[in-house]
Formats: sequence, C-alpha cells, structure tokens
Amino acid sequence: MTAKEDFEPKILAFLCNWCSYAAADLAGSSRMQYPPQIRVIRVPCSGRIDPFLLIRAFNSGADGILVSGCHPGDCHYLDGNYYARRRFLMLKELMQYAGIAEERVNFTWCSASEGKRFAAIVERVVNRIKEVGPWEGFDGRGFARREEEMASGE
Amino acid sequence: MESKYSEISKNIQEEAKKLLSQGKVERIIGFGRGVFTGEITPIFVTEPERAEELLFTPECDMMLAKYLLDYKGSKTGIVAKPCDTRAITVYLAEELIKREDIFIIGINDCEGLEENDACEECGVRNPVVVDLEIGQPREEEIEVEIADELEDMSPEERFEYFQKEFSRCIRCYACREACFVCACDECFVDSNQPQWVGSSIGKRDNFTFHLMRAMHMAGRCINCGACEIACPEGINMRALTKHLYRAARDVFQFEPGLNPEEKTLFATYRLDDSEQGFLD
Repeated sequence: MTAKEDFEPKILAFLCNWCSYAAADLAGSSRMQYPPQIRVIRVPCSGRIDPFLLIRAFNSGADGILVSGCHPGDCHYLDGNYYARRRFLMLKELMQYAGIAEERVNFTWCSASEGKRFAAIVERVVNRIKEVGPWEGFDGRGFARREEEMASGE
Repeated sequence: MESKYSEISKNIQEEAKKLLSQGKVERIIGFGRGVFTGEITPIFVTEPERAEELLFTPECDMMLAKYLLDYKGSKTGIVAKPCDTRAITVYLAEELIKREDIFIIGINDCEGLEENDACEECGVRNPVVVDLEIGQPREEEIEVEIADELEDMSPEERFEYFQKEFSRCIRCYACREACFVCACDECFVDSNQPQWVGSSIGKRDNFTFHLMRAMHMAGRCINCGACEIACPEGINMRALTKHLYRAARDVFQFEPGLNPEEKTLFATYRLDDSEQGFLD
C-alpha cells in the first residue's frame, strides 16, 4: 500500500451536461488549476444518475465520487435535479449507515458560469478523500495490490 | 386466542363462499394448509365449494399482494393482513394494479405473527385499504419505534458488522422472491447488459448486492419482515432498509403504504427538500 501522503485518489465525477460539465469546461478554458484526480463522466442530467452507478463505482475501486448537477430550479429538463436530490440524500444516508466514510460520497450543484467554484469544489473533494485514505473495497482487500497483480500478469 | 383465529377463518370462509358464488370475484387468494406438509401456504380458490380451505392463523407470514400482479385485468379477491394492505397501497400508488380489479378482505385488529420480529415494530393494526372487514377494528393507536440495534456502533464497526453479515449470503434471492417490492420485470441482479453486480458469492459482490437492494427498497419497503423470514442464512436483512425507512420518515415525512393517493418517495419532490450533507 502506498503511503498516505502520496496517495492519488481516483474520483469519479458525474457531471450534468448543461451546468456542471460546462463549469468544468469553463474552468479548463480559463486555465484554472485544479487537482487532476477526477475522472469526468458526462451525463445528460443529474436526474439520469442511477444510484446503482454510484454504488458500482465503489465496487469497481473508485476512492470517491462527486456528483454535480444544475442548481435546483435551473435544470435544463425543469425538474430532473429535484428528483435526483431525494435519491442522493437517501443514498448518502445508506452509505453512511453501511459504514462507508461520508467524505467519499459528495454531492453539489454547479452552474455553467461557476468555473471558479467548480475548481474549488474539486480541490475540496480531493482533500476530503485524501484525508480518509484509499478505499479498501467492500471486502477490505484494497485495490492497489489487485492492480499490481494485474500489471504483472498474474 | 385459538378461538379468535378460528372465528376469523370461519368469517373468511363464509364471505369467500358468497363472493365466489355471486361471481363478484374470479378467484380468492388466501392462506391454507399445504397438501403434503400441512404447513400454511398461499392458496388460490376459484370454486365456492373450496372456500372452506381458507384459513387464518398466526403463521400466515407470506405477503400475498405480489400474486395480484399475476392476475391483472381480472377481478381477484385477496385475504389481507394490515401489512398486505400496505403492500397493495404501494402497488396502487405506483399504478401497478387497478383498484377496481381487486377485492380486499381485510383482517382487523392484527396482533402480529409468530416468528416475525418486524410485527413488534408495526403500528398499523387495521387495514389501510379494504372492501370487506373481518372482525372489529382496533380503536386505540399503538406507539411503536422502529428499533436501531446498530445505533451505538461507529461507522467502522458497522462496516465490519455488515461485511460479516453479508459474507454469509449465498445469493439465493429468497429475499427477493418473498418481497412484494421486488416486482421489477427484470431484476438488477439478473441483468447482464449492464451487469450491475457480479453474481458470484464473495464479500465484495455480496455487499454491493445488499446496498443496491436496500437502495431499491427506499420509499417502498414497509418493514414487513418477509425478507428476514425467507433468508436461509438468518442475515439481518432489515438493518439497511429499516434505516432508510426511518430516514424517509424523518427527512421527508414519508411513510410508504399508508395512502394510495400519495406518490412514492422517488416519484415526486418538493421544492424545499432537504439538502443535508450536500457540499455548499
């Protein structure tokens, strides 16, 4: 296992096409610096994000997730994020109760003009997850060793 | 005690006979004794002569509501405990069945079943939706609390506890078959495009399965305990779903299966829903 200091988390960021993805785009095109540990997945709307996708992310070895959609009231599809908000809150309750550190499960809103805010959020999320350390998986075996095994072809 | 149940059984038999001979329903789903074992099992009565086979005892722990989905579009009678009527209410709220297709013979003043811990946490002792009542309704309300046995544990302890519990799971899906919520056309565990969760037994996939299962139950599960009775490994099946039940009740003031007009938790929203725990 790598030391905690140079631990590079893998974070899946589910961004809605209309606001948060545009915010990430803005952050990029305005040359803002933010940590490179997020992997962006563009989805049509935060209401499209099935909670199963988020649980599956942890099953597959993501150290944390970040979900961002339009601010409530600004959804391109009018009310997609209102539906999503309930689902995310319940998912957070579930994950917390099951003992997955709450720092790994992050939800926020980001509008298309908030490039600066997006960069700040990513930095915050990366720091939060760095603090709790690598995700050892539901079986507690860890993913780093598995990757090494795969790389060495065993 | 005995006499109370035999009286209920007699009432059910009489009413069932009437309904079937008058042609008000095509069949009645209820409880009866199995042919070989003599244990309580669901039975389907279509002729008035067979109405005497219908019984009600403290062992009637199956949830019959799920069978209604097999008989959509034809008038079906059902012998329903209060929890069955809650299940039917969830179906009605999700528009899975039509009210005019079913005839509910509801049992009043349910005292809870043997060998079902969930009954102690249930405050609904009279049917929620009903066409014909058996027995006198219970007047006084009972105060119950949906217990949280894991309250005192730290998140790490809970994680270990669940890991241990779920590692016993043999993925037989008896919980799914017993649960009335599990009425999807294709269950997520059977889907392989996408494959949500691996189908083999292992700590990792078992934990994922139980998390996903609990997430599917949110806003639908009425905490009836059928999954726990069905589980051959004796896993604490209700721990996660119970927590979500409490969360939905406390955060959204929503309890499933109490009002057929009310949409289920995830089928609606309010503008001022809580954002507790979201990054600002």
